[in-house]
Amino acid sequence: MKTNLKSIFYLLIFFGAFACDTTDDAQPRVELEAILVADLAAPNDVIDRNTGEVEKVNPFQYFSLEQNAIVSETDDWDLAFKGTTIRTNSSKNVKAAIVSGIFEEINQVPTSATFATDSESTFAIPTGSGNGWYNYNSATFTVTPIPGRVILVKTTGGNYSKIEILSYYKGNPPADQIDPRATPSGHYTFRYVLQTDGSKNF
Amino acid sequence: MVLFTIAVLASPQPKKVVDQNGQPVLHASIWVDGKLHLPIEEDGTVRSSETKGTVVKIVALGFETMQLSWEEWQKREKIVLQEKSGILDEVVVAATRTDRTVESLPLPVTVLNSEKIQQTGGLRLSDVLQEQTGLQIVSQHGTGLQMQGLDSDYILILLDGEPLIGRTAGTFDLNRLSISNIERIEILRGPSSAIYGSEAMAGVINIITKSFGRENQLDVGLRHRSFNTWNPTGNLNLGSKKWNTSLFYDYFETGGFDLRPETIGQTQNPYQAHTAQVKVSGNLSEKWQSSLFVRAYQENSTGEMQSSGNEILDMNNSRSDLNINPTLRFKPSQKFLISLRGMSSWFSTNSVTRFQSDQSFFDIQNFDQFYHRTEVQTDFQATPTHLITLGLGQLIETVDATRYEDKNRFDAGYFFLQHQWDPKPKVNLVTGLRGDLHSQYGGRLSPKIAGQYKFSENFSWQASIGAGFKAPDFRQILLNFNNASSGYYVFGSNLAEEGIRRLENEGLIARVLIAPENLGELKAESSWAINSGLRWKIGSKILVQGNLFRNQITNLIETAPIAQLKSGQNAFSYFNIRSVVTQGLEMDFNYAWNNHLSFSIGYSFLDSRDLDVLERIASGELFQRNSQNQTVRVTRADYGGLFNRSRHSGNVKINYHHPKTGIDLALRGIYRGEFGFADLNGNLILDDKREYAPGWMSLNINLTKTFSNGIQLELGGTNLLNIETPAQPNNPGRMLFTGIQLPLMNFIKN
Repeated sequence: MKTNLKSIFYLLIFFGAFACDTTDDAQPRVELEAILVADLAAPNDVIDRNTGEVEKVNPFQYFSLEQNAIVSETDDWDLAFKGTTIRTNSSKNVKAAIVSGIFEEINQVPTSATFATDSESTFAIPTGSGNGWYNYNSATFTVTPIPGRVILVKTTGGNYSKIEILSYYKGNPPADQIDPRATPSGHYTFRYVLQTDGSKNF
Repeated sequence: MVLFTIAVLASPQPKKVVDQNGQPVLHASIWVDGKLHLPIEEDGTVRSSETKGTVVKIVALGFETMQLSWEEWQKREKIVLQEKSGILDEVVVAATRTDRTVESLPLPVTVLNSEKIQQTGGLRLSDVLQEQTGLQIVSQHGTGLQMQGLDSDYILILLDGEPLIGRTAGTFDLNRLSISNIERIEILRGPSSAIYGSEAMAGVINIITKSFGRENQLDVGLRHRSFNTWNPTGNLNLGSKKWNTSLFYDYFETGGFDLRPETIGQTQNPYQAHTAQVKVSGNLSEKWQSSLFVRAYQENSTGEMQSSGNEILDMNNSRSDLNINPTLRFKPSQKFLISLRGMSSWFSTNSVTRFQSDQSFFDIQNFDQFYHRTEVQTDFQATPTHLITLGLGQLIETVDATRYEDKNRFDAGYFFLQHQWDPKPKVNLVTGLRGDLHSQYGGRLSPKIAGQYKFSENFSWQASIGAGFKAPDFRQILLNFNNASSGYYVFGSNLAEEGIRRLENEGLIARVLIAPENLGELKAESSWAINSGLRWKIGSKILVQGNLFRNQITNLIETAPIAQLKSGQNAFSYFNIRSVVTQGLEMDFNYAWNNHLSFSIGYSFLDSRDLDVLERIASGELFQRNSQNQTVRVTRADYGGLFNRSRHSGNVKINYHHPKTGIDLALRGIYRGEFGFADLNGNLILDDKREYAPGWMSLNINLTKTFSNGIQLELGGTNLLNIETPAQPNNPGRMLFTGIQLPLMNFIKN
């Protein structure tokens, strides 16, 4: 399968000596790179809307934040995408929390963040409009990532990552150019920062 | 024209008091030297028993006061009163439930008389209202009205003073009302719960149907419009000394229109509507008067739509309405008037959706609502400056629908008390209080006080403060809805606890967000409002009217998720969650150049805001994506208030009567400023330039010619510039029309 992944831009984040976290004050911060993942195709099952029956089951797309790649279900995946649902790998103890804020400004895992794992019936990243990462607008029939929602993930490797989902539509079109009938949905564009040193700082 | 012969009897010489058309003016009063003189008989005759006097004054509401010397009075056989012309002399019932002129009311009211209604060339009520300053027509589950920035849910619609029922998701569809037999429309702005109770939060629209008095009349008319729209009407009035019966029938048919031909199904489906009305009124005796009003409405529409599973569906929808309102009036003396009113209404909708392929059922929905009200109102004119009104009423409301369990019933009782007082000639006060006791939402008191000060004959200032409320409707309390195709549930507040328990037992719930036992009772939505305005006549040609308003509304009801389901969907219920403010200014400027040419300018400024959104902006919790797709905090300056509200709107109207040809021209430009139409950037608020629909102007023209035999022809069009407004799907584009009215009785008589 052709990989959809591209890493495009680098983001420099500097932390001054006046950062509020006192534990690492003495050391200069490592510049972390934000990785952009464009058009990760994870379409939902095809459902007959008249009967509610599933006509065609689509697979989850398993993604490793550590490797920045789509992997197989048996590998060390962190997140799995299908439709608007994002699963976390509970068998590998992957945890996730949702926080509000500006991606660049979240320079550490807030103490208020409550991490959860997927269970049989619940998701660490809640599904449903307004609950997790997206809003569904019933007037325009579009799914839009909620601005300011940042997903924090503790990966299979035990590292912390922050993720911002930018678009649910193919090609990351501007919001006013989405035609819910024509623009293919289930195509994730997101960016993330992975802190590989095991700390809670980004 | 009907001419009255003048009876010449033995002295003292009897006289007739008539209007310019020769119709008797029965409500005129005659004062001889400041003393109230004889009453007027049923044909307008006055028999003078006074043998001498110096000055005679004839006073009648809606007419110029006439003053005659005794000699002149003695000589005349016919007193012809001149009708007062001008907007301020119109009579308003809606504001106080008693007859008062606009001029004497301390409240913001507008009256549209039949001439103004005719000038719009409209066929349905929405066509007329959309040309009025500060009113907007919005498409939301039908053609709804917006007043002072509040939606159709908060506007009470009255037909001859009795409420009309039947709303879809809160919207009263104004297309259900034909205007061909409307005499006048009263628009009362600001909360009027102090006399009307629930729903009258933004204001009241009172539609007064035509009355013909004792004249026999038979009119037929036919109007045709673009989009295959036909509207034949017929009207028969049979009058006698004691009784008057009028029959009215209106048929409306339209082919509808389609703004998006690339998709299956029309924007407006074709429909046919019948309206029939019977009005009987009569004097049982000198003191007793009775009337009966019956109206029936039936509408059928057909259309196609595409299901989300790409199947083509056939839709068959019907709506019907029946109103029966008997009234009994008793006037034991000049000081008392007692009215007993009954009102029963049935409203039902039925929609059947089938698969086009095999005509098997996709969905069937029924909705049946019944509303009954009995009310007694006593008006007591304690002194010439004190008018006290006491009303007592009881109502029953039932609903039986596919989406509700069982048949449901509400009961309520209420009283209203009103004091109209003119403590000084320059001051008018109206104070009101209404109490409602409802089986569902308990008790509620709604006060209101309004005052006017007349600085001079030409300048007056009004101010009022009042409370408004809207009771939770059936849907919010009793809905039991499951969207099978996308798998979400909506429970009315009474059913939420039971619904969640059931889903829990079925093992469908992943997480309960709000414990059902903590849901609490759904309270009525309530408001406080201030209105303050002025009326200023500058010379005899200019009239300026303005009103400032502020509505502060709390406990607005909205849906919110109460549980997450394992499917990822939610179960919703209704909550009192929002608080909003709407405020603004409405101004009308009228200028009469001469008898033939006049023009007017209307302007409305509206500011609306959700207080919870403001709070979230202040605490930095709301974010947006800017044009570079970066996430930034929403600032106060980004926030555009509530969706679907135009900050600026207005109208320019020119009326011209061409004396030679007798043609009347009405040219109007109706402007609606830009408004937010939908959230695009995912934060659900209006904060992005792309979320606004552009402002636009509808240019409308109407030409009418009335011939001396009474035949009337009209020709015109609306939205002549053919501006498309995708965010406002009730605008079909350019519409042309023509019509004819035939007063057949004129020909029969001749």
